[in-house]
Amino acid sequence: MVGLGLGAGIAEEVWVVAHPSVQRIDRQTLQRIYTGRVLSIGGQAVLPVNLPPGNLVREEFLRLCLDQAEEQYTGYWLVRRYVGKGTPPPELLGVDEVIRHIQATPGAIGYLPASRAPRGVNVIFKP
Amino acid sequence: MSFKNMSMPMRFVRAGLLLSGMACGSAEAFDLTWSGFGTLGYAQSDESVRYQRFIDNNGTVKRDTVFGAQVDARFSQQWGATLQAKVAPSDHRDNRWQASLAWAFLSWRPSDDWLIRAGKLRLPFMLNTENADVGATYDFVRLPQEVYSIAPTTDILGLSISKTWLGETYDWTAEAYTGSASTYWRYYGRDRTMSTSQPGSWFLPIDIRSTGLVLTARSLSHVFRIGYHEGESSRPGEKTRSDFQYGACPAAIPSQPCYNLAPGGVDKQRVPILTLGASVTLPQDFKLTGEFAKMRVSDSASRGLSRWGGYLALSRRIGSWVPYGYYAKVKSQGDALSLYQRIDANANVVHPAFQSYQHLVADLTTPYDQSTIAVGTSFWVTTNSVVKAEWSRVSTGVASSFVDAPQGGASGDRRFDVFSLSYGFTF
Repeated sequence: MVGLGLGAGIAEEVWVVAHPSVQRIDRQTLQRIYTGRVLSIGGQAVLPVNLPPGNLVREEFLRLCLDQAEEQYTGYWLVRRYVGKGTPPPELLGVDEVIRHIQATPGAIGYLPASRAPRGVNVIFKP
Repeated sequence: MSFKNMSMPMRFVRAGLLLSGMACGSAEAFDLTWSGFGTLGYAQSDESVRYQRFIDNNGTVKRDTVFGAQVDARFSQQWGATLQAKVAPSDHRDNRWQASLAWAFLSWRPSDDWLIRAGKLRLPFMLNTENADVGATYDFVRLPQEVYSIAPTTDILGLSISKTWLGETYDWTAEAYTGSASTYWRYYGRDRTMSTSQPGSWFLPIDIRSTGLVLTARSLSHVFRIGYHEGESSRPGEKTRSDFQYGACPAAIPSQPCYNLAPGGVDKQRVPILTLGASVTLPQDFKLTGEFAKMRVSDSASRGLSRWGGYLALSRRIGSWVPYGYYAKVKSQGDALSLYQRIDANANVVHPAFQSYQHLVADLTTPYDQSTIAVGTSFWVTTNSVVKAEWSRVSTGVASSFVDAPQGGASGDRRFDVFSLSYGFTF
């Protein structure tokens, strides 16, 4: 099992979760969504959100799902912003906000530790 | 929903406002972010003559220093707008700073693969042209001017349409644009200018129309780009002198003949430009980057503007450090350099009263013949701030219009060193 230690040394999976309007996706599509290259899936606009830099869940998500380190990801968006091709996904303060956001916002996509996933949440990708 | 005020990759102040029933006609998130960027750069050479307008042995912060801010507004998933303003040394006076709008465009992305932008845009000439003002987006202290100067303008007021094809490994993007710009071309007279008998620079206002097509292939590790740009330049309300003639000097003093600007001129000049670029990641975190550009300015007395430039750079990321080295060269067409040499030599033949005049006419040919070898490093303090240092050795051949030649002297056959230090950041 791939996972992360969330400060307490407990390895845990990171799941990509979304509003029920979003269908399951593959890794490549997920990478394209989080790099601003795909805006919709099957006609549904997608609205990815991130956790803030320095968050362990974010670091693990970037590593496992996007195959990138924080420096690469922020560097990518730094250039993309300054060539006028868009801005990075908005950031939410923590996992609780991610959960509230994806439950309330059609098209919303986020990620969280598997243990924090609410019952019945729409998991669209597991690394 | 609350968005955190500290965002990535820099701290954006993000106004996450849900505005129901906006102009878009549906409940969409209106997202407004702003960011700032800057470079504080110092450069000093071991030569008293000025290089790239500002660099001499007294040192300067004017060559590389720039501060700016950008606002990105997203009205909906499809519609957005970007404004970027900057403060930097003036593009039409050597002793002034200037605030200007670098970007101001509306963007429409009707689907994943189409992006349409209208307004003030920066053109995708070289790999870093669009982000050249933001030093924290590349590792060099200064993008090689041998190549990055080869464009009559990098900004236009116009329209850009791009289409992207997402492949398994590469994303392919074709971008077509058209637009116009009013800009300035800098000239320097080592002995006198067109209007004064003192050495100095002057800036000719130029109107440019440009249309181009750029194809970019990009993967996580590599970038390849080829572009063709068809420009048309003109001087507002005036003809552009297109040739020289060898004849009587412009005063009734007995002398050998002089080279003079031929009367008349042309209304417009064709300016085709070819651009090539590649950046390839090699094993062991090495990166090889090479770019090439070739421009022709037809029917211009400034024949030296027709030139090619290229560079090859090798860098390697080692933790927070990215040491690099590059070799760059620029060269005007052979006939332009020959013409410069003939006119320059004629200054020693004509009556001394016409010597400075002949130097001026020679300078108008705007010759470029120089190479630079540079080694440097960037040190990434954080993901959005970087300290860079570079040593470079510049060698000029026949002449170089990057060098403000000393009075009575020449810009050719010079070797000098430039040391540069900069701090770049975004927030």
